[in-house]
Amino acid sequence: MNESPILVQTVSRSFDGPPVVHDLSFSVKAGSIYGFLGRNGSGKTTTLRMLAGLIKPQTGNVRILGNDPFAIGAEERQWIGYMSEKAVIPAYTKVHSVLKLGRELYPTWDNTLADSLLAKYDLSPKKRFMTLSQGNQRLLSFIMAIAPRPKVLLLDEPAANLDVVARREILDDILDLIRDCGCTVLFSTHILSDVERVADEIGILAKGNLRVSETLDSLKDSIRQARFFGFKNGTPTEDIPESFRIVRSKTEITVTLRTNSHATPETLAQRWSCQQETRALSLEDIFVELSRN
Amino acid sequence: MFFLNPQSGIPLYVQLQQQIRQRILSGQLLHGAQLPSVRELSAELHINPLTVTKVYQLLQREGFVETHHGHGTYVAHESPALKIDARRREIAPALEQLVTEALHLGLSEKEIQALLSEKFRRLQPKSGNAP
Repeated sequence: MNESPILVQTVSRSFDGPPVVHDLSFSVKAGSIYGFLGRNGSGKTTTLRMLAGLIKPQTGNVRILGNDPFAIGAEERQWIGYMSEKAVIPAYTKVHSVLKLGRELYPTWDNTLADSLLAKYDLSPKKRFMTLSQGNQRLLSFIMAIAPRPKVLLLDEPAANLDVVARREILDDILDLIRDCGCTVLFSTHILSDVERVADEIGILAKGNLRVSETLDSLKDSIRQARFFGFKNGTPTEDIPESFRIVRSKTEITVTLRTNSHATPETLAQRWSCQQETRALSLEDIFVELSRN
Repeated sequence: MFFLNPQSGIPLYVQLQQQIRQRILSGQLLHGAQLPSVRELSAELHINPLTVTKVYQLLQREGFVETHHGHGTYVAHESPALKIDARRREIAPALEQLVTEALHLGLSEKEIQALLSEKFRRLQPKSGNAP
């Protein structure tokens, strides 16, 4: 518990151009599920690939269970489960051969778990990988990532191409894994409702850096949207430091801010001699507010 | 069964905490009753076990439940359900909402009191010896 199983320290990475990930730092606590959010091209996949030891950061460090994932041997590698964004399984390989490979590769491979998931997802062992639907290809990749019972699970868009039922099922399987062996999970997704159900911490990535990284509860508790109206002395034009977004119209100002910052909705309303009402935001609202501009 | 809305702006733990508290306050969950384990409840609601753990800890701190190590979580015997101020605290957010709305709509305290009395007359279950 003393060190975070997933640690990213001042990491930057570019590919022949401006940095995709820029001076990024965050960590994931042992046993928690970290939802990694961001628009397309915000650097999620690059970060996950660095954590999986597939590419090197140009500056800074990444650490998985205290080790550099680029330098570890086979022994430590089996503790990292990684599901890539795109399928890496050869097209003509049959499902049962894929699983056999996993069994031979990983001493910790849990055959009972693999078989039960195969049956639950209704995957036919004799089918070739290329003949599976896109959703079923994702499910097989997911089995490959969790059957070795990893200590750290890195999932890149695990729910892409899955229908609602399959999505709910893999979320339950991730939760089961956490309940059984206290695994630590980092998963990127576009589907915010998945994150809201299972993640305890979230990070919102924009242009290669995190806008926020904290528990979902504290985010929902602290971010509010305040609407100011009924100005007695005209609408003020001053800037509000620490606010995320300000939208002004002739008669109203809407501000997204943290309630624990210096300027609270109440103090602002007093200063501007106007009325105000605040509302809590859903994760989707927060995501949009923080990913804009 | 509890009904959670992950998409709401209200954190899941707050929703669950409120619902369990309301069941205890309304007597649907009696003192001494055992609550489902963290594992059971998180599986049933498809939510993170840490969320359930947090809710049980908060309810314990508030005196609503007791945890017997290795034996589970139970509705506390000296339940705050009996205490009037716990009930008052429970209704405070709804009252605040009501008064805020009333002020926005320009309704006076007197008008709101009249409306409240009328609602009470309509919704209160009728019993023979009511005043």
